[in-house]
Amino acid sequence: MINLPKKPPPSLMVFLGIPSALLFSYYCFLKVGFNLSDFKENLENRYLVTDPLFNPKWSWAIENASEALVETIQIAILASIVGCFVALPLSFYASQTTNQNKVSYFLYKSFLNLVRTIPDLFWAMMFTVAVGLGPFAGVLALVMFSLAIMGKLLSETIDSIDPGPLEAAKSSGASHNQSVFTSALPQVLPNFTAYFLYIFELCIRASVILGLVGAGGVGRIIETQRIFLRFDRISPIIVLILLVVILIEQFSVWLRRRIL
Amino acid sequence: MSIPKQPIQQRILKYTITALIVVGSIWSASGLEITLEKILKAPEQIAILVGAMFPLDLSAEAIERILPKVAESLFIAWAGTVIGALFSFPIAFLAANNVAVNYISETTKQILNGIRAFPELILAFVFLPITGLGALTGTLAIGIHSIGTLGKLSSEVIEGIDEGPLEAIKSSGGSKINELLFGVVPQVMPTITSYWLYRFEINLRASAVLGVVGAGGVGAELINQLRFRDFPRAGTVLVATVVLVLTVDTISAAIRRRIIKGRSVKV
Amino acid sequence: MIKFENVGVVYPGGVKALDNINLEINEGDFVIIVGLSGAGKSTLLRSINNLVKPTDGNVTVDGNNVTNASKKELKQIRSDIGMIFQTFNLVNRSNVLKNVLTGRLSQVSTIRSITGLWPKEDKQIAFDALQRVEILEKAYVRGSNLSGGQQQRVGIARALAQKPKVMLADEPVASLDPVTSRVVMSYLKKINQELGITTIVNLHFLDLAKEFGTRLIGLREGNLVYDGNVDDVSDADFENIYGRSIKSSDLIGDDD
Repeated sequence: MINLPKKPPPSLMVFLGIPSALLFSYYCFLKVGFNLSDFKENLENRYLVTDPLFNPKWSWAIENASEALVETIQIAILASIVGCFVALPLSFYASQTTNQNKVSYFLYKSFLNLVRTIPDLFWAMMFTVAVGLGPFAGVLALVMFSLAIMGKLLSETIDSIDPGPLEAAKSSGASHNQSVFTSALPQVLPNFTAYFLYIFELCIRASVILGLVGAGGVGRIIETQRIFLRFDRISPIIVLILLVVILIEQFSVWLRRRIL
Repeated sequence: MSIPKQPIQQRILKYTITALIVVGSIWSASGLEITLEKILKAPEQIAILVGAMFPLDLSAEAIERILPKVAESLFIAWAGTVIGALFSFPIAFLAANNVAVNYISETTKQILNGIRAFPELILAFVFLPITGLGALTGTLAIGIHSIGTLGKLSSEVIEGIDEGPLEAIKSSGGSKINELLFGVVPQVMPTITSYWLYRFEINLRASAVLGVVGAGGVGAELINQLRFRDFPRAGTVLVATVVLVLTVDTISAAIRRRIIKGRSVKV
Repeated sequence: MIKFENVGVVYPGGVKALDNINLEINEGDFVIIVGLSGAGKSTLLRSINNLVKPTDGNVTVDGNNVTNASKKELKQIRSDIGMIFQTFNLVNRSNVLKNVLTGRLSQVSTIRSITGLWPKEDKQIAFDALQRVEILEKAYVRGSNLSGGQQQRVGIARALAQKPKVMLADEPVASLDPVTSRVVMSYLKKINQELGITTIVNLHFLDLAKEFGTRLIGLREGNLVYDGNVDDVSDADFENIYGRSIKSSDLIGDDD
């Protein structure tokens, strides 16, 4: 008789997790009102949307939305630049590699985590109340958005850099800031650039929606047109934005190859 | 010996990038009419708003209104992620160039890119006339967008696997399906499952926002409270959202870490 | 020049790295420290510039108490002590010149170091340091594009740029081949002789120690077990320091 080793029992996570996940999913679909027959009925209305959607009115879009589109892009440019560069020093404080002070590290890290929890449109809503309607509020909102993402990505990158050069600088009597600047920052610059381009792209997409709450950009036009089901006017706008996003994606691929 | 000078190309790249950034910022700022005055006034204005939110409105009436909406955001996000995970999984195989034929995988990738391109809100707009106001629209918007992103990410995981085990299965007479089930799936499941959870975290934020256009969730609450200048109540909505997102983020991150690390079994 | 008074180091977790070290190193000495891994060589070296703070006793450099120095005093003391490392610790993405200039950081304001507007004198000091290790022509080459031996020479230049009174070298040649190791060691020796900089080197290659050292210090399990002239050292002394017989891995040998 062969003595088989005892089979390890299924992990608690799998044993409890999977059935509860399934149950929860069922509950969620119930609560959101997922009903197949209703859904089928609803789909019959799709022509309300698909007919105009696939009938883009380019001339209208170019005439009426160009200015707003430019505004959208400007918001994204400014917000991503400001947000990412402000996030740069914050990230060094939010990493234990470059910040040995436990309290300060905890504060900075928590701040970044907190900012991350608030969705971009919520920031936009609050800023429109604080500084008034218009693109300024939109820029501020996306600055918080960029800051949060760059902060998280960059601080995690800093966590894994080589601490050797930092030690070398410290041992020569350099101040903390000097050490970080000359010996830690150069190590993460390629990552910073890659993250910046990624965040810039995210900002352009996010910026499209800001207008919905009055924070500038093409969102306002989209909102007014949508109420009248003018998807024929909305689709060219979206396509134009997508073209910009694709251009940026190509540019960032090219740039990354040059820099690396 | 003479002191060498720095080669020209290195400096040109540095100056060009700096110029781009400076010019881009100035062009944008002036185009948006953002003056120094506005910037300097902003911190004070923000402080006024934040001050108006405290003390938070924690009355029973407020909680009764807000809590269900917060829960609704959770349900929408979860259901949407489930839709995304379910459909993206098989599609990811079609989009992976080491599983599907090149022309199928390319086409699928482009379709996925197309879906990904639309922000959830825009998708919600498209669905609103069809499925009406409410949580279902939000779920569909999030679900379909997730299919796009998860599809792309999952296909990349599949493309990055170790072909060795597949070869072993093939050489022992296994079929293509065997290869997939026993060679590919075990390798990719940990990473893909962690992507699902990460997507859930992001979808939670998206679902909070969708309420603004009436697609369910807590966004509608916030915008209403702000419009009616009921700042304490708006503050409560914010805090409730933050607490929910933080909780989900923490739990999800812990589960993701555990999934990637794998279980340690005592031998 | 450097005085150890009852120095002890106990790491959190209870590991005793140094036990009651009493040692005096004179200005201009070229000291080599040998011992097994974990004998305390690295700890001893790092207690000189307080990268490791002794739990007992204190270390004095040039009359200044390093162990109990304030932050400001410590920076001043450290600027007079140059250090080179086994892993070179260069900033790989930066060029050689930028790396050497980091040796001048303690003497230059933060603004200038950030904007790259180094004063002309500091740049000259950096160039002179590079000249001394004969690597000036590589000034604008990225750190990562250099060989190990070249990187260590840049490390030496960086330390030299501080215009130090003391030079600490923590296993500077452990990652290098025999020929390059001897080149690096001879630069260290030359600098010690020409500039009179007190030099302390951790080595685990015994033949290299005999070849280049003047004074030899042996550490075993945190204790000072040998202190004498390199010429007086016998194999038996080495065995005592190591607590075992000599193996071939303890010798760097020649190029084969």
